[in-house]
Amino acid sequence: MCEKLNASLDFLRDKYGCPAGMIVAGSEGFELALSNGKKVVLLPWRVERRFVELKKIVDGKTLEDVSTFRFAHFTAGGDPVKLAAKELDLAVFLANSPVRQIFAVRNGDSACNILASLENGMSASVECGTRLPAGTEAMDRHEIIARRGVASDRVVDTQVPQSSIYTWTDSGLRTYTDVDTELFGLTNEQVWVVRAAFAVLMKPALAEEWNHAAAAVRKYATAIVASDADNKPVIF
Amino acid sequence: MKPVKIAMMGMTHGHTRKYYQTLLENQKLDWVASCAEDEEAKKVYEIYQTGVPCYLDPEKMLSEHPDIEAIVLASANDRHFEQMKFCAERGIHILSMKIPTFDMEEYDQMIEMVEKVGVVCQIELEMHYNPVVKRLQQEIASGKLGKLLSVQATNITLSPVWAFPWQGNPEASYGKRVPLGDGSGRFRGGALCDHPHIFDLIRWLTGSDFASVFTQVAPNLRKELEVEDMLMVVGKLQDGTAFLFDPSWSRLEERLKVPAPGWEIFPKRMEVNLTITGEKGMLMCDCFGPNVYHNGAPNDRYTVQYTYFDEWIGLIDEFVDCIRNRKQPKINLKWHRKTVACMNACYDSVAKGKAIAL
Repeated sequence: MCEKLNASLDFLRDKYGCPAGMIVAGSEGFELALSNGKKVVLLPWRVERRFVELKKIVDGKTLEDVSTFRFAHFTAGGDPVKLAAKELDLAVFLANSPVRQIFAVRNGDSACNILASLENGMSASVECGTRLPAGTEAMDRHEIIARRGVASDRVVDTQVPQSSIYTWTDSGLRTYTDVDTELFGLTNEQVWVVRAAFAVLMKPALAEEWNHAAAAVRKYATAIVASDADNKPVIF
Repeated sequence: MKPVKIAMMGMTHGHTRKYYQTLLENQKLDWVASCAEDEEAKKVYEIYQTGVPCYLDPEKMLSEHPDIEAIVLASANDRHFEQMKFCAERGIHILSMKIPTFDMEEYDQMIEMVEKVGVVCQIELEMHYNPVVKRLQQEIASGKLGKLLSVQATNITLSPVWAFPWQGNPEASYGKRVPLGDGSGRFRGGALCDHPHIFDLIRWLTGSDFASVFTQVAPNLRKELEVEDMLMVVGKLQDGTAFLFDPSWSRLEERLKVPAPGWEIFPKRMEVNLTITGEKGMLMCDCFGPNVYHNGAPNDRYTVQYTYFDEWIGLIDEFVDCIRNRKQPKINLKWHRKTVACMNACYDSVAKGKAIAL
């Protein structure tokens, strides 16, 4: 996997003339190994196009006075606590504000629901589950509710993600959603890992910011487990 | 079967107009009269031209129509106790709006007076008569999903307060003025009071009751309101099912005095969606979708036009059946008590900043 990712990263590095770096597998996902020996935890969701656009909508005041982030993410397997913690990082990223408090309710390794409040007064809810059947694509939804406007990565009056292309052939239904021409051929998940590594190489200041955010994600995960166990909010 | 002579009272509730078609068309009913809370409510009622006479005094209505057997109490929450007493004392069957009262002592008095005279008292929780919910209940009962592990549900709407001002009034909606927390400028009585359905549905779907709840109120979207309009609830049922509810008024609206096309600013004015995780799989459900869409009059704004209207038909059918065949409605005062108690616990959780055990 890393070989394919690094070939794509090398392509971008060569084209845009940026410093050396290599994508490597880390304990919590992919990392970028820099030529100075340092490692940076990659946060691919922070460069995913839809979230970048949602952030522009918030930062550019297309939405005014955000009240609530309403996120959901369901997968086939995995750890719902880590999933919820990453979703919370996305809220932090979009809100430009750290987490103040988390209250979590879990059901084993299958479901994790959390409510969080941010330092700037905004509210966030995250619904996560891992019981989709094996092989099913992940299902997620991100909605931002403000005094002026609502933004979302899902179409109004739909429940599941839409695709760019639908084909019905003898092999059944196939769908395609390609998001990156330069990296055409990679899966979307791979695209965002390469783009995340490329973003750090192009903007070195991200290295510290992301390592700091990754540490916060680990802190959120610990708080989620503690809140559920004690049936109490964890205040940071 | 002899049609039930029925009347409506109050005419200030947001659901009032939803009864008109059913009451007029259902041959098992004879809608003989209405009684408005005040001149303003009477004026709005007359816009709909039902042809049914409207009074301002319930005694006068009854003296003109002494054969009234049942009354729909389409009024503000703080009027329900007095109106229920009025009906019970006269042996009149009652269809109450979704929150009989938030005062649990008053609630128990309601149970007592209804049971004493033996009248039917059905609570209006119309989701039970929605065809998608019917299918949902069948799917869950079939066991395909296995034991339910987590339920996430929305009951989000626009805010009805501009058309139905009592819903933004803490006393009229919650029954008294209780701050959300120490020093809070907001009071109980907003979006939560408007959205009991998901609290009720999860009890039906799982057969379990609430164990604990934690509630978080977010900044209001509507600065002018003195009640909450954005909140989220998480908790657990006694059988271990985890849940997360969103009962907010998170869809903005034009501030119309009378609901009409163009009411919504966000394209979809109302949503009840459920995401259910079971031991054997997952289910997602939109109780009011898909629909049809337009961007025409009056605002040329992309709008979801609903195609779901069955709820009041089934609800009234059950009410008539219970009256004529002396049955207890599914949603009766005793059943609904635990739902209302949980909603009160949500407010207590906001006030205390901690989970509340039930």
